[in-house]
Amino acid sequence: MAFNSLAYLAFLSVVVTLYWLVPVRLRGGLVFAASVAFYALWNVVFAWLPLLIAAIVFACGKLMAGQAHAAKRWAAGGIAFLLALLIAFKYRIFLFDMFAGSAGGNGGSLTARVIFPVGISFYTFEAIAFLVDVRQGRVKMPGFVRLCLFFYFWPNILSGPIVRARELMPQLELNKPFEPRFVFEGLDRMVWGLVQKNVIANLLGIWVDRGFSAELPERLSALDGWFVAIAFGLQIYFDFAGYTNMAIGAGRLIGVTLPENFRQPYHAATPADFWNRWHMTLSRWIRDYLFFPINARWKGAPGPLYASLIGVMALVGLWHGAGWGFLLWGTLHGMYLAGYRAYESFKQGGTAASARSWHSWLWRAATLVAVVLAWVPFRAPSLSSATAMWSAMFSHFGGEQAKFSGLFYGFTMVVALFCAIEPALMNVLAEAEEASEGEGLSLFRIVVRPVAYLFGFFLFLLFDQNYSQFIYSQF
Amino acid sequence: MLPDAETIRKAARAAASELTGKAVRDEQKLVSSGLIDSLAVLKLISLLEKKLQISIPPETLQPEDFDDVNLIVETIERVGRD
Repeated sequence: MAFNSLAYLAFLSVVVTLYWLVPVRLRGGLVFAASVAFYALWNVVFAWLPLLIAAIVFACGKLMAGQAHAAKRWAAGGIAFLLALLIAFKYRIFLFDMFAGSAGGNGGSLTARVIFPVGISFYTFEAIAFLVDVRQGRVKMPGFVRLCLFFYFWPNILSGPIVRARELMPQLELNKPFEPRFVFEGLDRMVWGLVQKNVIANLLGIWVDRGFSAELPERLSALDGWFVAIAFGLQIYFDFAGYTNMAIGAGRLIGVTLPENFRQPYHAATPADFWNRWHMTLSRWIRDYLFFPINARWKGAPGPLYASLIGVMALVGLWHGAGWGFLLWGTLHGMYLAGYRAYESFKQGGTAASARSWHSWLWRAATLVAVVLAWVPFRAPSLSSATAMWSAMFSHFGGEQAKFSGLFYGFTMVVALFCAIEPALMNVLAEAEEASEGEGLSLFRIVVRPVAYLFGFFLFLLFDQNYSQFIYSQF
Repeated sequence: MLPDAETIRKAARAAASELTGKAVRDEQKLVSSGLIDSLAVLKLISLLEKKLQISIPPETLQPEDFDDVNLIVETIERVGRD
């Protein structure tokens, strides 16, 4: 039951309506039952897995509290077990192939060969963070049922946002009284998410699939190669941001606030800034539980810093899936970050991007180009396909054009332009929202919003025929 | 013995201002606002250790423990060692 399906919208309508109708004491049970049912509908065989993860975290947390002298050992043991589960489900075939010397590109065939519990990468990371936070005294271990609800919570179980216990757990009291703004805020995000996914991402996906199809990259002109790579950058942004908006929107409909995951990533001023804007909850996890502890140990010394940037980002690549393309994508980002840090430390005093205006624009442009180039191995079905695409982008000048209809070029440019003006549009909307505050039934509330919802829903229905799987639900 | 809270607060303000290049208010968010990143937090820890002549074991800390001057004071009082 994908977020962008009519079945899910019906499920959501029933759960949200019941949520606000039943007595507060029954809300927890309702959300838990709905969450387990939602996850089981994805794959009933693995419906027990979040329960097992909750049990591991709960047992380790209790043992840490009961045996203070061995707390570190229990935390480490719990984390090792969680990682072993993740590896067993997600990477065993990849590791086997790697040692057998037959691994290929990204995922496609590999993923198909592994029976894969959806969301495991996300809730395993939440569980690891939970154990570390309990060990560091940031979080108190809740009751087992509440912990299960935390891991099964349907709005974010499939693909995040990756939440911290301290931001979601207190909200799972589920005792807020109804406020109309929950409905408005939730529907705003839901409808926009549906349009992002079903209209923008899915349309771009048709052309991107063609561009990366087995025989095409080698025959693309440079311009087509760049257009396909840019189109994929836009597709994955609108796909994942669309999913995230629907997850955040579902939470808002029952008064729960989930953390944001995107902040106009293609406006990043530097490679480091990109990771403050792209998949922000994963970046935060990596920073807090991997990068900071490693570099704290070495006091930020340059050698370990650069090694950890590249190593940690390579792991981020692998987190997305068992494939060489993901590994290459992560490693490239690690190299971008290391290069930026080296430049920053060379410049000293002030950040590299803030030194001069033209430096700043140069970094912006270089970051954008570097990000687009890195998307190629992320998307390509094999490393040879990725190198063929790069080769086309940098050498097939004056090659044969028009492998695509004019609609592809036009639509990609319109979406790119939308991204360029997105911050300004968001400001205009925020100002309109602010102006309508306290005005009761303003024009914005009684006309603009419902019309926008209806139009968005109409577009969703119109484009519902396209294939609908979210890219990140495979990770 | 650790310095008193007011001494830590003054040192935290001075260190944060030195890193950001501008005056920092006690409640101003440093990390979550993007004013400083996790590497700058490591520099902040070094500065605080020098200014206060203490040791701050960072292995059990997270960057957001240094998100504002008030939190920095709390964090040092919790984990700082003379």
